[in-house]
Amino acid sequence: MALFAVVQAAFLLTLLSFRTYQSEVLSEPLPWTPESLEVSINSAQQCLYLQWRVHNLTHHQELKMVFQIEISRIETSNVIWVENYSIPVTWNQVLHWSWESKLPLECVTHFVRIRSLVADASIPEPRFWSNWSSWEEVDAQKSLGQDPLFVFPKDKLVEEGSNVTICYVSRSPESNISCAMEDVPIHGKRLSPNVSVFILNDVRFIRETGTNIYCLNPSNMSGIILYVSKVLEEPKDFSCETQDLKSLNCTWDPGHDTTLRHQSSQRYTLFESFSGKTKLCEHKKWCHWQVAPDSQETYNLTLTAENQLRRRSVSILFNLTHRVHPMKPFNVFLKSISATNATMTWKVHPVGNYSTLLCQVALHGEGKVIQHNVSVKVKSQYFLSELEPVTEYVTRVRCAAANHFWKWSEWIGQTFTTLEAAPSEAPDVWRNVKSVLGSHIVTLFWRPLSKSHAHGKILFYNVVIENLDKPSSVKLLSIPAPANGTELTLDQCSYQIHVTANNSVGTSPASIIVISRDPGNKNVEEGRIQGTEDGFSLSWKPQSGDVIGYVVDWYPQDPRCQLQWKNLDPNTTSTVIRSDAFRPGIRYNFRIYEISTERIAYLLEKKTGYAQELAPSENPQVAVSNLTSHSFSLSWKDYSTDSQSSFIQGYHVYLKPKEEQCHPGFEKVVLSDDSVCCQYKIDNPEQKTFVVENLQPESFYEFLVTPYTSVGEGPHDAFTKVTIPDEYSHVLIRIILPMIFCLLLLMVLCYLTSQWMKEKCYPDIPDPYKSSVLSLIKYKENHHPTIMNVNDCVPDAIEVVNKLEGSKIQFLGARKSLTEMEFTKPAYLYLLPTENYSGPGPCICFENFTYNQAASDSGSCGHVPVLLKTPPSQLALLTSPENLLKTLEQNYVNSSGGSPAGETSLNYVSQLASHMSGDKDSLPTNPPGPALCSEYRTQMAVSLGLASPSPSENSSLSSVTLLDQGEPRR
Amino acid sequence: MKVLAAGVVPLLLVLHWKHGAGSPLPITPVNATCVTRHPCHSNLMNQIKNQLVQLNSSANALFILYYTAQGEPFPNNLDKLCSPNVTDFPPFHANGTEKARLVELYRIIAYLGASLGNITRDQKILNPNALSLHSKLNATADIMRGLLSNVLCRLCSKYHVGHVEVAYGPDTSGKDVFQKKKLGCQLLGKYKQVIAVLAQAF
Repeated sequence: MALFAVVQAAFLLTLLSFRTYQSEVLSEPLPWTPESLEVSINSAQQCLYLQWRVHNLTHHQELKMVFQIEISRIETSNVIWVENYSIPVTWNQVLHWSWESKLPLECVTHFVRIRSLVADASIPEPRFWSNWSSWEEVDAQKSLGQDPLFVFPKDKLVEEGSNVTICYVSRSPESNISCAMEDVPIHGKRLSPNVSVFILNDVRFIRETGTNIYCLNPSNMSGIILYVSKVLEEPKDFSCETQDLKSLNCTWDPGHDTTLRHQSSQRYTLFESFSGKTKLCEHKKWCHWQVAPDSQETYNLTLTAENQLRRRSVSILFNLTHRVHPMKPFNVFLKSISATNATMTWKVHPVGNYSTLLCQVALHGEGKVIQHNVSVKVKSQYFLSELEPVTEYVTRVRCAAANHFWKWSEWIGQTFTTLEAAPSEAPDVWRNVKSVLGSHIVTLFWRPLSKSHAHGKILFYNVVIENLDKPSSVKLLSIPAPANGTELTLDQCSYQIHVTANNSVGTSPASIIVISRDPGNKNVEEGRIQGTEDGFSLSWKPQSGDVIGYVVDWYPQDPRCQLQWKNLDPNTTSTVIRSDAFRPGIRYNFRIYEISTERIAYLLEKKTGYAQELAPSENPQVAVSNLTSHSFSLSWKDYSTDSQSSFIQGYHVYLKPKEEQCHPGFEKVVLSDDSVCCQYKIDNPEQKTFVVENLQPESFYEFLVTPYTSVGEGPHDAFTKVTIPDEYSHVLIRIILPMIFCLLLLMVLCYLTSQWMKEKCYPDIPDPYKSSVLSLIKYKENHHPTIMNVNDCVPDAIEVVNKLEGSKIQFLGARKSLTEMEFTKPAYLYLLPTENYSGPGPCICFENFTYNQAASDSGSCGHVPVLLKTPPSQLALLTSPENLLKTLEQNYVNSSGGSPAGETSLNYVSQLASHMSGDKDSLPTNPPGPALCSEYRTQMAVSLGLASPSPSENSSLSSVTLLDQGEPRR
Repeated sequence: MKVLAAGVVPLLLVLHWKHGAGSPLPITPVNATCVTRHPCHSNLMNQIKNQLVQLNSSANALFILYYTAQGEPFPNNLDKLCSPNVTDFPPFHANGTEKARLVELYRIIAYLGASLGNITRDQKILNPNALSLHSKLNATADIMRGLLSNVLCRLCSKYHVGHVEVAYGPDTSGKDVFQKKKLGCQLLGKYKQVIAVLAQAF
């Protein structure tokens, strides 16, 4: 028992000592523990950089080691990352490791520690981890500035679709901080009183200049710019080829451009694995690779696209000679060009030793493409045949490697035009024959030759007219192009007409037409034909079996349009005439001819019709005539039935009824405007007159004449109005018109008679101002054209005619007979100027407007006192007032009834009117009447108002008063 | 060390001795010669006034163009992002003598010109498509260069001041993009405010 206890104690001591030894051994640091751990932050990349050393490594010793790194966040116990990092370690080596943080490093404090393990095969197991290094604290917030608010990470670049974590750091714990991305609020999680974290999932590209993210409190705002780029794509369609076996041209499709402003762009590099060469490409879509001069044939090229976030590669393996893309040929020429042939020559660029190329020649012309393949060394040519004359061709050539086809080169071409040739076909000729006064008017028509038959520009047409009855008679006409016809006047002989087309090279075959002296069947009746959408369908019966063909010609009713024709085979008996020129509402006339073996055309049938009939668009112009009290006539003879838009079948005469019943022959119809009319139908389209009868006199009618056709009638436009006269109106007109005429004639006669009567009975009083005397005075004194000078005055004379006996004197004023007085011989009173007279005295003044005006101007000779100079005996008679009164009374005798000889009277004799004064016999016939005297006084009164008074005015007035005593002034 | 001994120590001594130490030396000694490269324009003060008026008339438009080009949140948070609280901006005293005012004007324009250069450089990178903003920034910088030359000419010709020490704003090249935008906006806000005072003062 004691032994057992001793053994047991010894065992325990041994075990204890072993454990102690073991613990001592284990507690010693391992010789390759990581030391000098340093941790730094790269804020731009949000990375933690670690660097450390491993001591105790001998010189030239290299051990494979594993380093375990732990990263904690906020506190050391919160480990967020553990990673084993294996690396061979040498003596005195500084080891590096980095870790990118999803959470911005500035947001919270990070802790890092590291330990190692020797994993080298030279070190026997067991292997133990070294002790952990002490925690290294990384607190980026300490280095921030004094701003109250920060947002992280700054200027981060991410790919579209990725998740981004941002945070804000506030200097003071605040709860009212809000954040937004491009105006859209974002919500996060509070990590600490000062820090909140926001996770942005699947961020989208907004613009190249970045996305604004910001946080704000009531007093501050801070933000960051987040750059979101497109995801870098793998280059597509990567391909390399050579033109000369000296360089490779590699191209690719880069896809999206991930370039952002403020960030570097994506770049491309080429790497050739056999040669190990690398080239940084300058362009994003293509790159040149210089072929090695050592005749490397196989290439393995890798294209790598790279940006800050991603890298993508694509590789191709190829033989250089299988990627030959030759340059386009050069020196392309065309020679020996004729109307139908040409020779094309060209050269190619040599491609190393592979000088044999396959070239493709393409000929474009006349809407066709013809291709030929040619094997070419350096220079080649190709013969182009079967070309069309006067045709523009484009010939092109391209080449490719003959042995290993890769790609055709670019085309290179030339344009050329073949030369002219003689026309190959006769022109298509037709004719129209009219017989006029024993001759034939032949109008020839021909169609221009098609380009394929003309073989050049047609310059003229030759028309040879050969008289078949007189073979020696040949006539040649040359019609310059582009005429398409001519007109010939031929006699009654038969003629053969040859028509040829000519260009600069030669003449076409002739087209022959024979004009027979017999015009053929003139009595062919014209039938009607109805056109359809497909055209006009015509058929005929052949008259003779020996024909070489048929011709159908047609022309529209419009004479401005030209004749058209269609040639048909001899076996044809029907055809459909189609033409884009057919228009609805136009009448077309068709004629069918057969062409005999002698090339004479015989008319078989005539047709006329419309492609589509249209209702008449206008009504005939109707004239109204023979208007009576019971009828009137309508006429529209100018209306042409042939030039209408459809076949006229007749006419409808519409009459608006005055009563409910229509006239006999009319029937009541309802028009489109629901009005009721009486309609009369005229079935004959050539009947263009109509008499409307049984009308009521003195009534009012409205009528309309419209044509009707199979497709309708003319427009119901304005009705024409007719007023029916009464029965007697024509009688009245026959009476009243002559009466009016007679009345007018009578009025004219009366007027003429009254004029004559006026001239004879009441002539106009002459106006002194218009007297010819004024012109005479004007010659004498220009400064007083209307005034008679005193010196020029010729004294008037009063002729006293002594009445011998029994004369009956009538006073002027009272128109009473005066006491007859007897005079033995005539006595005269002279009216003289009063040169020395100043006082009142016996005088007589004849007041004349003209004289008074002159007198007022001169200041004298206004009123001429009468001085009785001669003879004294007469003066004595007038010295007493009584005698003077008597004398005057005698002087104013109205002698219209004729004064017997010896009767004494006092006459005014004007000295100017010499014919009056000198002709004593005429005095009795024109005695001065009372009215004339009164008119003189009126003129006196007017002139006085205008003239200045004269010294002799009083005396003159006294004389006038004396003269006016017998008659009251009117 | 030699540089320190030769330049900094005497400078410190001078600063300690002189009243108002710490401020830049504004004026060339009176007896020093002042030569301008070209003769100054006779109507120089009018030109300076007109240039100030011209700058003042376009300052607001430049400010608007700038903050609009930066996108949100700038247009709607001008008080927080573009407030004119530039710390080291040169002072200006409108009631000073013409000489003093011209010296202060020179410093302000020199400060603004350098800052506008930074802003223009940054905006050409950050907002390359904002061409009207670039154009306006360049035009403003051109006028400022002319104004600076005129002010210096006036100082030299009339007051014999050939050299004015100036201070510049912070270099934005090391800042993050948002900070660059914000500093630019603050500077332009300050510019709009100051140029109105300057245009009024001359």
